Amino acid sequence: MAPEFVEDRRRAALEVYESQDVPTWRRSGFWTTSLRGLDLDALEPRRYDSLDSAIVRDHLGDEEHAALIVQQGANVVHCDVADERIIVMPLEEAVEKHADLVEEWFAKRLPYDEGKFPAGTAAFWTGGVFVYVPDNVRIEKPIQAVWLIEEPGTVQWAHSLVVVGENAECKLREYFLAPDFEGQALHAGAFELYARPGAQVHLAHYQDWGSGEVHDISVRRVEVQRDAHVKWVPIHLGGHLTKQTLDIITAEPGSDMRHTGMYFTERDEHLDLFTTDKHEAGHTTGDTVWKGALTGESRASYEGLIHIVPKAPEVDTYLQTHQMLLSPKAKGDAIPSLIVEVDNVKASHGGTVGELDPEQIFYMMTRGIPRAEAVRVLVEGYFEEVVMRLDDPGLEDLVRRRISEKLADAEDQVREFIGERAEAS
Amino acid sequence: MTLEVQNLHVRTEDREILHGVDLVVKKGETHALMGPNGSGKSTLANTLMGNPSYEVTEGRILLNGEDLTEADPDERARAGLFMAFQYPATIPGVSVANFLRMAMNAGREEPIKVKEFGALLGKNMELLKIDRAFTSRYLNEGFSGGEKKRAEILQLAMLQPEFAVLDETDSGLDIDALRIVAEGVNAMRGAERGFLIITHYTRILEYVKPDFVHILLDGRIVREGGSELADELEDKGYEFVREGVAASGA
Repeated sequence: MAPEFVEDRRRAALEVYESQDVPTWRRSGFWTTSLRGLDLDALEPRRYDSLDSAIVRDHLGDEEHAALIVQQGANVVHCDVADERIIVMPLEEAVEKHADLVEEWFAKRLPYDEGKFPAGTAAFWTGGVFVYVPDNVRIEKPIQAVWLIEEPGTVQWAHSLVVVGENAECKLREYFLAPDFEGQALHAGAFELYARPGAQVHLAHYQDWGSGEVHDISVRRVEVQRDAHVKWVPIHLGGHLTKQTLDIITAEPGSDMRHTGMYFTERDEHLDLFTTDKHEAGHTTGDTVWKGALTGESRASYEGLIHIVPKAPEVDTYLQTHQMLLSPKAKGDAIPSLIVEVDNVKASHGGTVGELDPEQIFYMMTRGIPRAEAVRVLVEGYFEEVVMRLDDPGLEDLVRRRISEKLADAEDQVREFIGERAEAS
Repeated sequence: MTLEVQNLHVRTEDREILHGVDLVVKKGETHALMGPNGSGKSTLANTLMGNPSYEVTEGRILLNGEDLTEADPDERARAGLFMAFQYPATIPGVSVANFLRMAMNAGREEPIKVKEFGALLGKNMELLKIDRAFTSRYLNEGFSGGEKKRAEILQLAMLQPEFAVLDETDSGLDIDALRIVAEGVNAMRGAERGFLIITHYTRILEYVKPDFVHILLDGRIVREGGSELADELEDKGYEFVREGVAASGA
């Protein structure tokens, strides 16, 4: 039996979940994210005995890790911790074995009543990931967590709790993976990370749910405490429908964050991202860059908010977002916005939605480079700025390889699109 | 071995800009094409390279007898044609060195060997007085006007085309940069290469002496001659040429 603080939250969340309808998210303009196509009742949590996944091997390679934890469907199927200074275990187990430690942080930034799916996650989560890096511990090798959906019909209610102690350092990667399958699945996730004073955290979220109808509705929050630094890199390379709220909160003076995201959508994928760079204290700094590219008939919306609360002076933060359309049938928007409730801060933002520049393509072709290669190089070059910011060679190679493969898949439609544009101009 | 333009008519959007241009550049020759702003100089350069924004409505472009009028820009480049841009595009995320290697390999069966490439690059950077660090910067991103032009000439030196069109390479350069660029061009002149130097001003021609000068006015070549024509233009200006054309009733 789990401790009371867990059970109480489950009960309260269940009430919220049951009282609310499946939401449809609407925004001004053309944008709507609807779950009409999702047959929620047909999905069920699935349990597995052991890990045997080609896709996990393919993504993780043979890089050494400080710890690896894998949840397939509803339960953790693999957990090994090579570095004994840290705690990495299923959250289910941690709430019992380390009840005091978990209770101090558990759901501190994740209210159970902020919507049907966050409530569902709070009520139904199983397995889960708990990572604790004690004060002053420095971990070189990555701590890796994998959320795996192996087959259609799966619902995965996911909760990750990460606490990085004072002056501790670590690199954490979470992967969200599924093989290509036919049929529906749902990953409803909650992620929270607390970077304690002076901590240095390098956090990556790598999502590629494959070509199946995987829906991902998640909330991820990162709290950066006094003089801590967090580099956060969300990478979206696949998912039938993704609706995510990604918030990074510089909560105390001296905290600093660098948030670098990217997405590449294809086919009829639908991606809806809302990120907030929230400054709850003065003397905090932020730097957010998001880049995306769209092919096929995909839809992608990125909205990035800088929010500086009252009594937070001397904030210095910047947000920019770029989106590139590579297909005539793709549609997207990239909206930076700003809420500043105090004077004496520096906050700026910028956003662009564009296409490949025919002059760039012409320029490269005059050097003998064929059109298809020019397009590939330009799109890869467009992403390179953010790939470099990953600051993680293993992940950089993986992302470059996957973008290159996706571009090869889209080559025909991109060529047609560029050709049309050139003739129209 | 020639680059030949025959009765070239070119339009953009709704306006004809070139009204029948004829030009022959033989290998080993350096031609200057001069003209005031709006005369169609850049249109000719872009059309030679196959910029899709320009439409050829009449006439032909031949390289060594092969008709390239409808060819894609990359085919023209591989056939031996090069243009140094007046306003080169920025290629984010691609370093100068990587771009050069890609461009060189585009025209080869076997990719160039790393050592050979490095040696050639070193030699040409020395020629153009380019700093080592330059080659790891993204091509043209944050480059000054002079750096962009030098990067263009560096590509010319690496790619060694049969015919090179220099589109206002001198514009926006200070005198020192101009001299370096001109020396780079002079080092590449020779029996195996033809140049078409497009310019508004005569200054670059003091350093790169042309064999022939053509004056383009309102989309037509109105006067042709040797390098003395550039001197005459320097003294009297384009208005003088314009008046001469008007007087002859052309």
